[in-house]
Amino acid sequence: MGRRIAVLVFPGTNSEAETLALLRDCGGEAELVHWSRAQSLPAFDAYVLPGGFAYEDRIRAGAIPAHDPMMDYVIEGAQRGKLVLGICNGAQILLEAGLVPGTGDARRPTAAFTHNASRKFVCTHVHMKLAIAPSRSPITAALAEGALLPAWAAHGQGRLAASQVHLREIERGAHLAFVYARADGSVDPAATPNGSALGCAGLLNREGNVLAIMPHPERDAWNFNHPDLREGRNMLAPSGGAPLFASFVAGVQRS
Amino acid sequence: MPKSLALRDDELRSIAERLGREPSQTELHAFDAQWSEHCSYKSSRHLLKALPTKGAAVVLGPGEDSGILHLGEWNGERYGIVIAHESHNHPSQVVPFEGAATGIGGIVRDIVCMGAEVIAVADPLRFGRVDDPLSHQRYVAQGVVDGISAYGNAIGVPNIAGDVYFDERFDDNCLVNVVAIGLVKESEIIHSFAPPNADGWDIVLVGKATDASGFGGASFSSVTLDAADEDANKGAVQVPDPFLKNVLMRASYRVFEMLRERGITVGFKDLGAGGIMGCSAEICSSGGFGAEIQLRSVNVALEGLPPEVIAVGETQERLLWVLPPELTPEVLRIYNEEYTLPQIARNARAAAIGTVTARQQYVLRDGERIVMDVPIEFLTGSIRDELPYERLEAAPPPPGRAFETGVQLDELLERVLAHHDVCSREPLYRRYDGVVRGRTVLARGEADAGVIAPVPGAPFAMALSVDGNPRMSKLDPHLAAQHAVYEAVRNVVAVGARPIGLTDCLNFGNPRKIDHYSELVAAIDGLGIASRAFATPFVSGNVSLYNESKNGNAIPASPIVACVGAVDDVAQIVTLPLKRAGSVLYLLGTPQRALGGSVLIDVLGGSEPGLPSIDYDEALAHHELLLRAAKAGLLRSAHDISDGGLAVALCEMAFGTLGRGRAAIGVQLDDPFQWTHGGVGDIEALFGEAGGHVVEVAGADVEAFEALADGVTGVHEIGVTIDRPVVAIGPQAFDLHWLHGIWSQSLAQVYV
Repeated sequence: MGRRIAVLVFPGTNSEAETLALLRDCGGEAELVHWSRAQSLPAFDAYVLPGGFAYEDRIRAGAIPAHDPMMDYVIEGAQRGKLVLGICNGAQILLEAGLVPGTGDARRPTAAFTHNASRKFVCTHVHMKLAIAPSRSPITAALAEGALLPAWAAHGQGRLAASQVHLREIERGAHLAFVYARADGSVDPAATPNGSALGCAGLLNREGNVLAIMPHPERDAWNFNHPDLREGRNMLAPSGGAPLFASFVAGVQRS
Repeated sequence: MPKSLALRDDELRSIAERLGREPSQTELHAFDAQWSEHCSYKSSRHLLKALPTKGAAVVLGPGEDSGILHLGEWNGERYGIVIAHESHNHPSQVVPFEGAATGIGGIVRDIVCMGAEVIAVADPLRFGRVDDPLSHQRYVAQGVVDGISAYGNAIGVPNIAGDVYFDERFDDNCLVNVVAIGLVKESEIIHSFAPPNADGWDIVLVGKATDASGFGGASFSSVTLDAADEDANKGAVQVPDPFLKNVLMRASYRVFEMLRERGITVGFKDLGAGGIMGCSAEICSSGGFGAEIQLRSVNVALEGLPPEVIAVGETQERLLWVLPPELTPEVLRIYNEEYTLPQIARNARAAAIGTVTARQQYVLRDGERIVMDVPIEFLTGSIRDELPYERLEAAPPPPGRAFETGVQLDELLERVLAHHDVCSREPLYRRYDGVVRGRTVLARGEADAGVIAPVPGAPFAMALSVDGNPRMSKLDPHLAAQHAVYEAVRNVVAVGARPIGLTDCLNFGNPRKIDHYSELVAAIDGLGIASRAFATPFVSGNVSLYNESKNGNAIPASPIVACVGAVDDVAQIVTLPLKRAGSVLYLLGTPQRALGGSVLIDVLGGSEPGLPSIDYDEALAHHELLLRAAKAGLLRSAHDISDGGLAVALCEMAFGTLGRGRAAIGVQLDDPFQWTHGGVGDIEALFGEAGGHVVEVAGADVEAFEALADGVTGVHEIGVTIDRPVVAIGPQAFDLHWLHGIWSQSLAQVYV
């Protein structure tokens, strides 16, 4: 029996289909778990929180779902070392739940992904670059040093905001897992689509088992998502952002 | 409830006559909704009958909530594309955010109720002048985009196509059309009528608690807008709830799964115009039944709503099932317990509210009291208005001389690229999630049509484009309607997709004015001509009339057409950006001495007679050539020629190479005289909008491409791609970054 991954569906989640599809294409044994089946969560070995607008982004994106009973199980699992990946709205929930950067208590957030500098939703193609040593986290262990992943940013609240004290802690504690970069891999503030502090695209907790990323690698994850750039290859094969999911699945299988 | 009726005196008389008594308050409001143009198509249905609706790919033509086209087969399953096309013009003019949001909300239900998953939406928009930051139209243009963004993003459906035009004649009436696309296995289509064995079945209402919003919405959209009625108009607009819709859609998909397992045929329909009454009457009467509804069983948001409000109010986010009674408890369980609707929105739920009856009456009860009791076919049967019209004169022909202007080429390019109908649409579409669901192949801005590969593991894909040019339709609605079809088809062909079907939304003025009605008649005739010529039938559509304000300012005739294309293999898709230097550029198209309706004439401030004509035989031959070349892998890029002409098309193909982490590619266009041979002037060759495509062919493939093109007229070698960031026209070279700056900044000032 392999290790099982739960893809959580909150009321308002909207990216469960592509998240599930890519986990499976990367060899993961994954299934959707709806909010009315929260009590089945402890039986899973890892959790993925997909994108969407859980509980309508009321108060602040991620604030209400962080208190959904499903998160009791995720927090407990994370504290016991299970791997957790949050994407976009899932990332916002992990921050609101205090799991990432994890420099405070559970459900006492020390940082947030909040309103873009433009105050507007933005959907644009980006590149996210690995800013930690791959071995720092079992989730990124199979990626190359400085790996560059194409992805789509699609969010209204993706700007990292925290006090100076906590931003320093994020930098010093190697919590800054991914930064926005240009297509050629150079890091440049102009490549950040939302005004995020530190150019942050992804944050990791201290223990390295919980990763929160704002862009969607799972939406640029098969060759057909970019027929232009991947001419002549098998259009149905995973590519682009898929290596991060593959690395996550490998980490889960080792765990 | 401050709401007046739109029913006319003669209609009121015929109701009283048929019932043999004065109608009740509820009946009055029911007929008011059901006999509005919005529901009954009374002045357009007989005209629309002339449109071709049959073809090899048609699975379901017009008549239900959506049409269905066959896309492809995979693992022994046939997959259909479900398509619907709607307008939300009046509401969006009054309250832009809610109007545009509920436009998406409504059309998504038209797709869901066919048993389909919603996989894409598209938005054709028409606004008035937006230059003044304090104008109502600026507010409308921003609010509409915000509304589309807020709703579409939250429900998780990618926005993959659309267009936008700006013209002063939309100042008092913006147009907000929306197209939605679904995917369904053809063996699992659910119809919007009660099945033949449905006598005694349950009528189950699901969704948001009924409130007083959207009361009078159907008739509101079927009268001219009067600024003095602003408050009453606002009350007629519905309130969107994308959060509830997100859950409602997913819960409905779960019900589809359950129905598949049990193999039961049921009826499912969206609540739109006319609310509970309109939906339940139509789903039952189209199955040959009557209905009896208990209004007290409806879950309401507040107590004390009058029966007519519960019956015809247009509260959003509701759908209606016709179910065998033994299935009802399981459906209620899925919505109310598994998907916890009552916890998602106050008093939202699924509830049985009535019964399908063999007796052909439509009966509404409010407790013991009967508030409506009418023959169902009288309520829903097609009423028809015969209105007078005249055959429109064709626009005067183009002049027989080459167009001359003293303005220099750099200034022409600058003004055309900055024109609001030409410049980059990114400031709008970057606000829409174009990639949710992960199946997007080409998002907006990447090509002429949006492309989705909807079935995991299957190589086929669906392309979508929506078009309709108001500058042309101001001059000649008959020819402009043909151009709308031609452009939509052309855009789909440009990505290497075979056009398989069309939908239309006919946005016009007041049909009771002979000149407006004559435009409608002429446009429908034009749509039929082009649809037949391209062998692309219409499978669904919508009519939006009375787009006129009380001061008489009416919109230009606006037939807007969507085209669906099929791609057998995503590997054959062609995109817009130039790929490499050293390729040969071909024009597939014949420039004409006809600049009427062009952007060029608009920026020069004059007027010019004569729209370009369409040579259907040549266009078909070009499309065939392009598709065969794409299939053979001979095309590096392709782009259609429309607003701004060839010059703009070439600029856009070069713009597509910027910001991709590699060197930009430019264009060297031969002096137009070399390939027009003086048939038209240089200005017409560069800025004419007669249609056609530009394609990029690798030097090594030129021979194979020309062999395919052998015998095809109107194929011109016009230049090459170069490794310098310029667009050069003959001896004059223009800096690509300068051109791109003009093109990309123009609308960014409106959508900051």
